[in-house]
Amino acid sequence: MTIPPRLTKFLRSLLLSVLLPVQVAHAAGADRTETARQTIVRAILTTDDAQKREIIGSLVGQGDEAIRDLFTAWRQDSLFVFTAPDGAKVPVELAGDKDGTGAQSAVRVDNGEPLKDAAGKPLRLIGSQLAAVDHDARLRLAMKAVVDLLDLGSPVLAKRLRAIQTIGAAQKPDKLPALQARSQIETDPKARLALREAVALIQLADASEDVKLTGLSELRLLHTSSSYDLIKTARTKAETDGHPAVVKAATVALDAIDQHKSFINFFGTLFRGLSAGSILLVVALGLAITFGLMGVINMAHGEMITVGAYATYITQNVFGDGMNFTLPFVKIAIHLPGLHLTGWAYQLYFVAAIPIGFLSAALVGIMLERSVIRFLYRRPLESLLATWGVSLILQQLFKLTFGSNNVNVDSPVYLSSNWTVFDITFDWNRVFVIGFAMAIVCGVWLALTKTPLGLLIRCVMQNRTMAACMGVRTERVNMLTFGLGSGLAGLAGVFVTQLGTVGPSMGQEYIVDSFMTVVVGGVGSIFGTVVSALGIGLADQSLQQILLNPVLGKILVLVAIILFLQWRPTGLFAAKSRSLD
Amino acid sequence: MSSPIPVSPSPAARELPRSRHREFVVVGVLLTLLTVVFPVLNAHGVISDFTITLWGKYLCYALLAISVDLLWGYTGLLSLGQALFFSLGGYMLGMHLMLLIGPLGSYAKAGQNPAGLPDFMVFLGHTFLPPFWRPFHSFGFAVMMVFLLPGLLALIFGFLAFRSRIKGVYFSILTQALTYAASILFFRNDLTMGGNNGFTDFKFILGHSLVDKDTGPATMRGLFVASAVVLLLACLFCHWLNGTKFGLVRQAIRDGENRVLFSGYATAHFKLFVFVVAAMIAAVGGALFVPQAGIINPDQMTPAKSIEAVVWVAVGGRGTLIGPIIGAIGINALRSWATHAYPDSWLIILGAIFLVVVLFLPGGVVSLPTKISAMVRRRPEATPDPVVPAETESSKP
Repeated sequence: MTIPPRLTKFLRSLLLSVLLPVQVAHAAGADRTETARQTIVRAILTTDDAQKREIIGSLVGQGDEAIRDLFTAWRQDSLFVFTAPDGAKVPVELAGDKDGTGAQSAVRVDNGEPLKDAAGKPLRLIGSQLAAVDHDARLRLAMKAVVDLLDLGSPVLAKRLRAIQTIGAAQKPDKLPALQARSQIETDPKARLALREAVALIQLADASEDVKLTGLSELRLLHTSSSYDLIKTARTKAETDGHPAVVKAATVALDAIDQHKSFINFFGTLFRGLSAGSILLVVALGLAITFGLMGVINMAHGEMITVGAYATYITQNVFGDGMNFTLPFVKIAIHLPGLHLTGWAYQLYFVAAIPIGFLSAALVGIMLERSVIRFLYRRPLESLLATWGVSLILQQLFKLTFGSNNVNVDSPVYLSSNWTVFDITFDWNRVFVIGFAMAIVCGVWLALTKTPLGLLIRCVMQNRTMAACMGVRTERVNMLTFGLGSGLAGLAGVFVTQLGTVGPSMGQEYIVDSFMTVVVGGVGSIFGTVVSALGIGLADQSLQQILLNPVLGKILVLVAIILFLQWRPTGLFAAKSRSLD
Repeated sequence: MSSPIPVSPSPAARELPRSRHREFVVVGVLLTLLTVVFPVLNAHGVISDFTITLWGKYLCYALLAISVDLLWGYTGLLSLGQALFFSLGGYMLGMHLMLLIGPLGSYAKAGQNPAGLPDFMVFLGHTFLPPFWRPFHSFGFAVMMVFLLPGLLALIFGFLAFRSRIKGVYFSILTQALTYAASILFFRNDLTMGGNNGFTDFKFILGHSLVDKDTGPATMRGLFVASAVVLLLACLFCHWLNGTKFGLVRQAIRDGENRVLFSGYATAHFKLFVFVVAAMIAAVGGALFVPQAGIINPDQMTPAKSIEAVVWVAVGGRGTLIGPIIGAIGINALRSWATHAYPDSWLIILGAIFLVVVLFLPGGVVSLPTKISAMVRRRPEATPDPVVPAETESSKP
């Protein structure tokens, strides 16, 4: 086209203004300020069919949703031309229910406002008394072409991206001008990349070899996985048609995509493995204290996690609209008033839940230690049975209090998004878990090695009797140590609300894994737990990636652990001792 | 730990041979009575068919409990994998029973199953029987596998575990992991073992109908008698084993493994033997359980089920012959009643029973008479805990 489109549009409106004086006001400034609605009005009032199609075609690339609605109305024969008392022709859409006389409310096509008479009262019109706006097959085709490309100009980025990808995947050459037009004005980098890909894909489907090669070299640079299958198809076609240059270029492009894929997979797996390991670490760290240091086999450790998770749930509800629940057996109804916070203040519930989860689980742990575990320090195997009984009781109490269904814990905004760096997705909640696991490990290490309580804990765990002889109140130290271990489980519970489900039996999912982690790391060694948690997490995720089968991967990890203990029966970093048990 | 922690003498060592025999006679008489009286009363309509099936299942659980007791009570190995061996035995016989359904399956009835596959395979779109299923057409092979597969698994796992001297808590945690791994494996459909629904809808065993209105009760009676007889045989075996030198070494391992080791015994071999035998006893229990319960699925295989079996033994009294039987029957009868009467509180009751038994009654129910008589004589300090084998601080690092 030699005449710029804007100019033709102007000329066209000029022509129209001659034909239809009423439109002069609209058409005068048509080229820039004309809205999609006004363009449609112009199309309706044009009498020439070819011109009509051309005006409608000029809407390509616009993202106004009104276009879709109006075109639908047009095709369904609900657009009419109303002739005002002063002779002006106003296209209207009749919508809503018909009343007794068959009249419907009328909406002006040019601005979407209700049609009003001189007194400013909304008019109701009867469709059969007005001139309907007609349409033929070719016009409908033109409208469809506009609607098809409507999303291309959508102000919503996700919608735009989807439209671009759909057009690219369809590889229809007639859409090329629209894409190129969009590329001129598109500013978003993601959409620009998508546009380049879509253009290249359409070029790939071109008959000419040169255009194909241009497309392929572009696709090689973009190396998107979405283009993989299409390139493969093109290569097969080129092989049968005998275009060796295209085949070669396609192979190069496919290799580039493969390489990029394995790069993403490698780092993606590394990241997921680290985050899975961090969850395991947070879950197992509490156990490393109660089991590793104290020698108590706390099968109710999973329920301490559940306590933390439900504490998060309650905190969320208190920040929101409050909640009611009834304590089982004693039948005391508890009403927690809500703070009715919204926006950021509400989102902060998660920050508040962290200390609340820790303290509530620590409290339950201390109660458990005082009532049951303190009698069992010399009978570790029986502590397994007793705490399993406790775990059954707690699970049932959760079920009776909060219901047996999973409860919903919202993800705060600051944890529910992600970063994409080099096509690798980093979910914020996982990044957060990794960071938090590190913080907790440092905290525990500092608490155990640099505080007076840590000193007491270590000496009591090494030799309870001797510590007691030296005047350490071992009972109290036991209680606090167990509280610390349980509190850490509670912290883990706060975190798993962001990654898994929250229900009465959720703790059971973690118990076997966390015991394995502590055993592999070497009982009594916090550092060993860190290494083994990260190692198991990475092994688990890599096996899942390699085998494409999560269950088989998990089984292999368990078998590997059993074999590993053949080699090091006391775990990775066992406390060295010459004593014989 | 090298500190000379006093090792309390084990109950069996303290017991006079006479009391050991007395216990066996009690168990023998009770079980014989059970074997005879229940079926006879059932045949005359005094005991309902439902009760017979229920008690048949209790007896299978008792077998599982005996296997736990053999390991934990007598050898000091707390295995959390017995439910795995129990269900493996059940699965092996279940495969045979599945193949017997044949033309009575719902797909076969609808004419959609020309190959005569088990229903779940048709459902999953299989067109032919996987090769490892084929030998299970034979009852003899299935029974052989009931012993072989769990035995072999126990042999391999036990060899690895005992060779590297994994013991105490570590052994428990490892067996728990093994059970967990197996259960998630059996939950998968592509293992062609029925996925999470497992095997169900059995029709025949050895040519006898399990579901027929007229002949079904007689089959169930037969299975009940078989369970009772096997239980009796298991008790006989345990009793015999306890009397042998092997049995004594085994108990010595429980009370002080290192001393036995330094006395020149290869403790790993002793433990391995007991582990394999216990796995087989549990597997037989599972095999008898499946036709009576009419279902086997991976839920039976979870670590939680294993712990439950340990609890039956703890409640009944470990290190005794009659304790596990009382525990298994008692707790399961209580469950049957409580899950109907107090469905909400059943788990709490069960949990509370554990706590009470572990904290206040380490010898289990069978030690109750001794405790009471001691209390009556007002000399509680004179009676040491009867059945608490020395748990030294061995699990501590």
